[in-house]
Amino acid sequence: MAVQAAVKRWVARHPGRRAGLVRLLVVAGLLTGCGANTVTVEGSYPTPNIPSIPLTLGVYYGEDLTGFRYIEYNDRGNEEYIVESGPSHVTLFNTLLPSMFEEVVMLNSPTEDAGVDAVFIPSIDEFQLALPQKTRLDVYEVWVRYNMRFAEPGGETIADWVMTAYGKVEQESLRTADSSIGGATVAALRDLGSNFALGFTSVPGVNDWLQSNP
Amino acid sequence: MMTERIPVRAGLLSLASVLLAALVSACTSTTIDEFRQGETGIDASESIVILGRRQGSNYDTREEFVECVGDHMGNGRDGLRVIPEQEFVDALFPWFEPRTAPMRSSDLEQLMAQPMVTDKINAYGIRYIIWLDGQTETVSQMGSLSCTVGPYGGGCFGFGSWEDDSSFEARVWDVSSYEAVGTISADANGQSYLPAVVVPIPLLARVEANACNSLATQLKQFVVGG
Repeated sequence: MAVQAAVKRWVARHPGRRAGLVRLLVVAGLLTGCGANTVTVEGSYPTPNIPSIPLTLGVYYGEDLTGFRYIEYNDRGNEEYIVESGPSHVTLFNTLLPSMFEEVVMLNSPTEDAGVDAVFIPSIDEFQLALPQKTRLDVYEVWVRYNMRFAEPGGETIADWVMTAYGKVEQESLRTADSSIGGATVAALRDLGSNFALGFTSVPGVNDWLQSNP
Repeated sequence: MMTERIPVRAGLLSLASVLLAALVSACTSTTIDEFRQGETGIDASESIVILGRRQGSNYDTREEFVECVGDHMGNGRDGLRVIPEQEFVDALFPWFEPRTAPMRSSDLEQLMAQPMVTDKINAYGIRYIIWLDGQTETVSQMGSLSCTVGPYGGGCFGFGSWEDDSSFEARVWDVSSYEAVGTISADANGQSYLPAVVVPIPLLARVEANACNSLATQLKQFVVGG
């Protein structure tokens, strides 16, 4: 709105100089184009080779997960990279969970009554990106910390635990920074997927609940 | 006059080529060590998979090196059936990821207790899993090179030199007995030169390529046995 008002004021003060305004806006647009790079993480993940748990699992993806984006700032405090990894996280869990559980039901809310045995709610606590120009290392690295919640259909928490994931990609002369950041994020998600698939039944609260609900 | 000059020029070129080839080939040396712990052998119906170790914090075994060794072992009339690394790791997900891969051959027996893993490994006909671990580093650099560009052209002058050192180790696990049957290590080093008088002429030591060729040849002999 402030920009719109400023443009109106400029047109009022400089009648007949609309062409100049257009040129100004084009230059401003080009400068904006030189700002932050948006990296949309796109990855496909393999299906895990593990026996499925005989449960009907409800899954709820919050907006903080589906729309997750991380902004990396440069030394001057300007946005440098915007990493959009929400949809890729959804792809990962949508690949993992149907192989891990007998049946998976997507929920619109964590407490939706859908006749499920338990509800799983993943969320991202923290995302960190390490760039070669800042670390002086030849790798792009991504760390992610997750909060995993496994709950009763009514909402009571069964288990709540933290998981971390790490991925890295070596800096290569013919690979763009965007592609390397995307690759490191996919590697981190794959790391999460492998540890989640193999470690889920060993989480103390989950293990106790599975023992008492055979 | 021309008939006399051509042989002299051709002779000089040949001499320069021989000297250059000698210089380049003399720049790399490779040492292979083999430690055998068990009998080996492979049928035509069986295959191998070569995997890179990537759980270290300071380096990863490069995918390109793993691919190079696999290509060399699979080539030729006596080539072995080599399953591509990424295909195997994807098919066996999540058991061979950097944080979940078996570290010792004794872990293999535990892993093979998983029916889905056994089915996949049997479907590929895998007899040996070969773990590659190592890297190539530039250990020393010297010299200086400067290039200038002016209105009438440009050029470089100077001399640069660096030494590359490759160190790789291959551990061979027998899937049929769940045992480590041997270890082969390859160490290669070589000096590369970059003299420049107007145009830089790189004389590169193919250190990693030599380590790959030598290691693959030795691994093939080791796996075939006899």
